[in-house]
Order: sequence, then C-alpha cells, then structure tokens
Amino acid sequence: MAGPDAMAELVAEAVGGSRSALARLISVAERGGEGSAALEAALLPCRGESYSIGITGAPGAGKSTLASALTTELQTAGERVALLAVDPSSPLTRGAILGDRVRLQPHLGNPEVFIRSMASRGHLGGLAMATCTARRVLEACGWPLVLIETVGVGQAELDVAGATDTVLVVLNPGWGDEMQANKAGLMEIADIFVINKADRQGLEATRRDLEAAIAANAPTRRPAIVETVATEGTGLNALREAIADHRQQTTASGEHQRRRQARAVTELRDLARARLELALEAQLAGAAGKALADAVTRRETDVDSAARRLLATLFTRSDPEQAP
Amino acid sequence: MSGKRILMAKTGLDGHWRGPTIVARALRDAGFEVIMIGMARPEEVVQACVDEDVDLVGLNIGGHIDVAVRAVTALREERPELPVFCGGVVPPHAKRKLEALGVEVYPPGSQLPDIVGAARRLTGLG
Amino acid sequence: MNDKNSDGKAWVSTSGIPLKPFYRDEDIPPQHRERLAAAPGEPPFHRGAYPTGYRTKPWRIFQLSGFGKPEDENARIKFLLEQGETGFIMEHDRNTGDHCYNVDHPEVVARREDVGLTGAVMQSVRDIDICMKDLPIETSYAHAGGAVVQHAPFALAGYWTVAKRRGVALDRLPGTGQSDYFLTYLGCVTKQQVPTDTGLRFNADIMEFCDRHLPRWVPVSIAGYNAADTGLNAFQELGALFANAVEYLEEIQRRGTMPLARAARGCGGVSFRMSMDLFEEASKLRAARLMWQQLLAERYDIRDPKVANLRIHCVTAGSRMTYQQPMNNIVRGTIMALAGALGGVQSLGVSGYDEALSIPSEHAHQMSVRIQQILQEETNVSAVTDPLGGSWYVETLTAELVERAWSFFDEIQAQGGFLASLDSGWLHEKAAENQHREFMAQETGEQVIVGVTAHKDDSSPYEVDGFMGVDDAFDVALERLEDVRRTRHEAGAAAALRQLEQVCRGSDNIMPAMMDALDAEVTLGEIGDVWRDVFGDWATPIQT
Repeated sequence: MAGPDAMAELVAEAVGGSRSALARLISVAERGGEGSAALEAALLPCRGESYSIGITGAPGAGKSTLASALTTELQTAGERVALLAVDPSSPLTRGAILGDRVRLQPHLGNPEVFIRSMASRGHLGGLAMATCTARRVLEACGWPLVLIETVGVGQAELDVAGATDTVLVVLNPGWGDEMQANKAGLMEIADIFVINKADRQGLEATRRDLEAAIAANAPTRRPAIVETVATEGTGLNALREAIADHRQQTTASGEHQRRRQARAVTELRDLARARLELALEAQLAGAAGKALADAVTRRETDVDSAARRLLATLFTRSDPEQAP
Repeated sequence: MSGKRILMAKTGLDGHWRGPTIVARALRDAGFEVIMIGMARPEEVVQACVDEDVDLVGLNIGGHIDVAVRAVTALREERPELPVFCGGVVPPHAKRKLEALGVEVYPPGSQLPDIVGAARRLTGLG
Repeated sequence: MNDKNSDGKAWVSTSGIPLKPFYRDEDIPPQHRERLAAAPGEPPFHRGAYPTGYRTKPWRIFQLSGFGKPEDENARIKFLLEQGETGFIMEHDRNTGDHCYNVDHPEVVARREDVGLTGAVMQSVRDIDICMKDLPIETSYAHAGGAVVQHAPFALAGYWTVAKRRGVALDRLPGTGQSDYFLTYLGCVTKQQVPTDTGLRFNADIMEFCDRHLPRWVPVSIAGYNAADTGLNAFQELGALFANAVEYLEEIQRRGTMPLARAARGCGGVSFRMSMDLFEEASKLRAARLMWQQLLAERYDIRDPKVANLRIHCVTAGSRMTYQQPMNNIVRGTIMALAGALGGVQSLGVSGYDEALSIPSEHAHQMSVRIQQILQEETNVSAVTDPLGGSWYVETLTAELVERAWSFFDEIQAQGGFLASLDSGWLHEKAAENQHREFMAQETGEQVIVGVTAHKDDSSPYEVDGFMGVDDAFDVALERLEDVRRTRHEAGAAAALRQLEQVCRGSDNIMPAMMDALDAEVTLGEIGDVWRDVFGDWATPIQT
C-alpha cells in the first residue's frame, strides 16, 4: 500500500461516499500489516458513530438467513445496514469459498445495504483486529449499523462477535453438540439468544434449558431470548426490539461505554502483543539474537539472563516511531 | 496464500449449479477466495464486485449472449480494469462476441487446469 | 482376478463397481439366481414390463421441444410429429415458468433476451391454447410441461382447461405431468421456489386430482435423469428415485384419500438418464423394475402386477454431449439410446447433438428422431425382449446395482428421508463429490472424452453454431399479457385468485381452485405471487 498521503486520500474518497474506496479500505484492513496500521492512523480524525451487532452460532443454525432477514427488518425500519460476513476458517495456505451470499440474494444491488465477505489474512492482531478496523472504516463512512456475522463458535469467532455492541448467539431447538460444548463461552458473550428455526421440535426444552443457564448469571447479565423462523421472517420484529432494548439499557447504565473501553484495552493488548512478537522474531533472527543463542548453547550465559538481555535490546528506543 | 478474490455470478435465471460449483472448488483449492452470489442482474453483479473489491469476475452464462454482454458492459463502465472470464453455454458466435469485449471464454469441456491457470494469469499471479 | 490394467488403472463401472475381465455363471449372487427364470412381464419385472416387449409396443419417441412464442413451439411439435415422434412434450419458458413470474417481473425484464430460449412463454390459458393448436391431444401422449414443482399445477391445469374448452373429457386425456424434485431441488435450483413440504402437498394434490378425474394421466413423474445429470451415479440415482417415491406414497398414506395401490400406479412412471456406460445403464433399468416391485411388495404389500411393473422413460445424458466436435454426439446419442432400448424402456428422448451449444436446432431434433427410428426399424433390437437377460455379466451387474441402490436408499432414510436430504444439502454434496471425482479422472486421463480430453481437433470443419431461437418472444409475451389483463373478466379473475389463496392457506386440494383460476384467465405471475405469499421460499442449501 502506498504512503500515508495516498491512504488519507483514499479515506477522504470513502468518507465522501465512494463505495469503491470504502471497499478498497476494507481490503487494506483485511490484508493487515503495516497498511492496516496506516489506515488506522488515517481514520483517527474521522468522526462518526455506528452501532455494531455480532451474530454467531454453530454452522447450520441459520445465521446467514437470520442476518439477511434482520437486514431486511432494519432496512424496513429505515436504517442503512452494512454486513460483514467474516470467515475465519479460511486457512492461510488455501483459498476459500466465502460467506453464504446466496442467503443474501434479496439485498443484491440495494444501495442502502453494503455486504462484504471477509477472510482473515492479516497477521497484526488477527481477525478480530481486521474486523474492528473494517468496522471503523464503515463508521467513518457513515454506516450507522454494522452487522458482523461469523461462521462458527470457535474462539476466533467468539472474539470477533464479542467485539460488538450487541452480541446475538444463534441456536436451534435441540442446541446441538457444538453449542453445548461451548455453552460457558456463549453464556459469557451473549446479549441476546436467538432460537432460530423455532418451528421445530424441542423449542420448549431448549428455552427452559437456556433460562436455567441464564439464571446462573449475575442479574445485570441476563440475555434476552428471542424466537425466530428466519426463513419465514417470523420473530424479526421482536429481535429488532430486543436489540433496541439492549442498546438503550446498556447506554443508560453506562455499560455500553464500559464495554467500548474494555474493547479498547483488548485491542491495545492484542496489537501491542502482535508487534512485540514481530519485533522479538526480528531480533531473534538478527545478529544480536544469534549471538545470544550461541552463548546459551555454549553455556556461557544462562537462558534467563539471555532473555532479559534480548528484551533490553527491544526497549532501549525512546522514539515511538522506532518502537517495535 | 494468494489473497486474490474472485466473484462468481450467474447472469441467467437458469439454476444449473454443476459447472460453477466445480470451478469454484477448483479455484478455492488453488488458493483463491471465491465469493458466489448466484443469479444476479447486471447492476447487481457490478455492485457486488465493487463492494467485495474483487480481482476477477467469473460469469456463468446460461442464456442469451446479450444478457451477458450487458453485464460485461456495465462492469467495464464501473471498473474498466477488472478482468472478466466466463463459462457456460456459449456457442461459437457468442464466444466471438465476448472475446471481442476482452472476455476470456471457457465453454463446456474446458479443463480445470486451464481455468485455474487463467485465473492466476488474470489476477497477476503469473 | 485381474481387475487392473497394466498401468494400475482399476477397471470399474462408471458408478465404481469393480469389473472382472469376464463373468461366469457362479458370479451371479444366489439371491438373484432365483429370479432368472422369470419371463418379461412377470414379477420381479427386471426382464421387462410387458411379455411381448417392443413387438406389440414400440418405445415412444418422445422429444423435449420448445422455444420462442407458443406458435413457434406449436410448429416445432407438429414438425416432430410429422417426423415420426409418437408423443409430444410442451416445454414452457423456464425463466417465467420455473419461477412463476410473468414477463414483466423485474427479474425477467433484466433478462428479456433469455425469454423463449428454453420453451414457449405461457402466462395464461390463452398462450397454452395457441401452443396446443390442432395437436392430437386425444390420441397422442402429452407431457404438458411443469417439470418444476411450483410450476406443475399451472402447466397441468392450463393443459386440462384447454382440453375441456375443446370438449375433450378429462377422463380421456392421455399424458403425463412431471413436477420433479430432482430438477427442482437438486439439479436446477431456481432463484425462488416453494419449500419442499409445500411441493409434497402440490404433488399429492395432483395425484388425488388425477385419480378422480384423469385416469389416463400420469400425475407426477420422478426424473432420476435430473439426479444423474447433476452427478449421482447409477445406483445413487436408483436409490434416490425410490426414496422420492416413498415420500409421495407416504404422504398419500397419511392423507388416506385414495387407495395406496392407485397412488403407486400414479408414481410408477419414471425417467432415468442413459449415459455412456452401455451395460451399466442397461442393467440399471432392469434393476429399477426389480426394485419397484420389491419396494411395493415388501414395504406396502402391493402385488398387483399392473401397479408393480415400472414404466420407464429415458433421456440420453445431456451432460455427455460435448461442445467440441459436436457431430460426435450423434454417435453418443445412438449408444445411449441403445442402452435404453436394451434395458427395456417405454419411451425415449435423445438429446440434440448441439445440446452443449444451444437448444436443439430443427436438424438436431430430426437427428434425435432418426436415431431412434434407425434403432427401431433397421437393427432388429425390437424383436426380442430383454436381449441381455441371462448374460452372466449383466445379471451380476443388475444384482450389484440393486444391492448398492438399496444401501443408498437406506442412507437417505438415515438422513431423515428424501426431503430432509434435499433440505440439508446432503444429496447435493453427494452429487458434488462425484462431479469432482469425474473432473479429476478427466485430468489424469483415467476418463477419456473423445474430442475434449483426447483426440482434440482445433480446426474442425464441422462447427455447429447453435440454434438462435427467435427474437420476439419477450415482446409478444408482454403484449399478450397486457391483452389478457385488459380483456379478461376482471372480477371473475380476482375472485378465482382469492379462492385459490384461501385454499392454499387451508388444507384442501389446490387443483380444483387452479382449474377455476386458469379458466378465469388468472396469469402465471399472479399464481406465483400467491405461492410466495402463502408458502414462502425454500432455503436452498447450496451456493450457486
């Protein structure tokens, strides 16, 4: 990616309403690395506030259909909606067939809807970071609502969804093994449980099971339960209201602000850690690192002292531009 | 890892998915990120290509050549540099018409290594 | 036994059954040995549906035909009948028909040049009337269109309404419907479609309606063809087809509105694909008849031979027709047709040699008819029924296909049944796996396609440019649609449409209301709107 001026220019174009510039900026976020870092810097002066909704759940739970139906519902209520379909399963060395765009067919060509399939390719801070950067791009460009859908319930997916303002966890009557296995993690991040495919058998049992699990949570952290049949558009109105309630409550209680703060800490930690690792690897591969390793091998120095000396070489710079 | 993104769309309302699916899987296995949007009208193909910021477009043509030509023309207006290739039922006269627009055509019977090779070449991977 | 050749390639049938260099008597499995004594026309029917075979009943020459305006299609059907076709297929335009859209629907307008490319545009009973002009509907076996599930009620009610208006009693009409699940939900997934359970209701409604009013009509026809041409192999095609039949029969059983044997008769007219593995394909048809007899006897205790003898239509594999060197396809069509003839079909369609390029030109259509006439009249294959019967190889292969097909059938049941296997995408994945394997085999050279993967020829002097169709189908259809809207009795049409919607929201049979709606000149798109409103959209499990 070109220098900071070019980046600022692209950001200005995107903020000015160019979808193509917006799309290219998300590619920058997706690629990660220094380009993404430059993008974050260029975004800093941008104002704009958007609200983000994470959608996670096991494959087959109907997330894409739900995301599509929710987009329709929010659109009908007059909102412009951006949807990031995030695919962390894309391995580094192989390609992927991204997202489930067939479910999103109804929104094809709609200028009030922006849909983007994202895969993780960047290294700095991982996928959650790339998604956060993409969200900030959308925020800067004036998209008031950002839906972020992930494809599963592994840690990477939970991290992505967890970094949003309202987290929807989608499950079906009967739960499913994968959900059961992740129950604790899901309980922790869910703001709203959506029982999709609610016309299927086992709805009551699932609801009871959920209610019991939720009752164990602190009174301030008791997710709502909404039932939907996304394929038929049933329950979407209730879901939109539940999201609005959650937004209103967390804003009023200050929880919203606390979460954004906590998220900033997380992002800061992730990014600092990523940079630290990069710098450490560079140092290890360099002459100083090799000399230290040799010294340890020859038993001229103990490993802990060598590690401290290595770290010291990382932290002697006073100019943050030169920092790891 | 190529990081190159390919959008695949069907210009017609014909739902045969056999061909596009085989091609999509081969492209995936060759390291591409493939985004399939299914049956889409020309303006829908264009918007999806813009939003998804893809490096290449693959069109499956299931009907009249004029419909595909409209999609290609619309793409050229919005993103003139974006390469397009296509497959499907493309009789020789239609093939010539598309090739005149700079579109590479892979009719039935085309072999996957040729299609994957074209995708690599068209996205600048050599 | 040596079942590999010198470079280690396995000798297997197309579906993967290992093949020996030759077969002996003892290769035939014991359970199949008992059946060898049965004559054609006797249970378990693997040797043929009728004792006298083609001597008394030559197979019907039955070609898919349709394009352009209804009058273009009418002319092509008449051409084919003059050429010696013995039944006719009325193909509706798929853009409008499969989706139940009128031509002014935005999705259709955006693709206006596609309209009429795959069949005639028929949006109201008036269009169907034009398409059926002067056709011998009382004597000639007709496929009225409606291959796709949500379209069938319209196509059938339209055909029947025109017949009634011409004074032909419904109970005298010969013909067939289709409403095929494999085409609709597996092979050619439309942009919008009623869900699979709604489709089941439609098909059962059609079966009931035919049972009451059209005794000579085959209400639904399961087309294994579409399963096979999407990628299912020979035994999967068989297993899936009977899993589909079970779904229909059990819906009728739940309803209890007609005797199950009559329902079984109603869905005992099926189609298969004939592909290039000559003996496996011929054996597949023998296996199919055997399996139907077994299914009815063992699962439903139905033993009436008139019900238990499966009637089979075959179409040669469209996907086997190559784009390169298209004249080679005449040879392919002949071999695939021969496989059908040897396997004992009741009717046959041969794909056009220009199939990979376009819809059939008149010449390609004529060749498809001629291939069949040459087989029937010059080769003497019609003289003896089940000419492959007793071949150690063919009997063993037949038995093996039956066995593998039943285990595939069981796998589908384990998925929760046929509908569930479509809803989840399980069946699609099976097809996709085979497609992938086949492509890999072509790449390695294990599978050869002449003119495509080998014996290529860049400068063939025999280039075929594909049929161009007509260019006024959309405009004329739009005019006619406006004309219908302007000149029909509006209150009557509105009332019929309301009535249809009400029936759809309840549980009564939709077909009487469909007949009224067609008679009141309700249009295709209006009916589609009712479907979309009442039944919603199938959540397709695949990415296209």
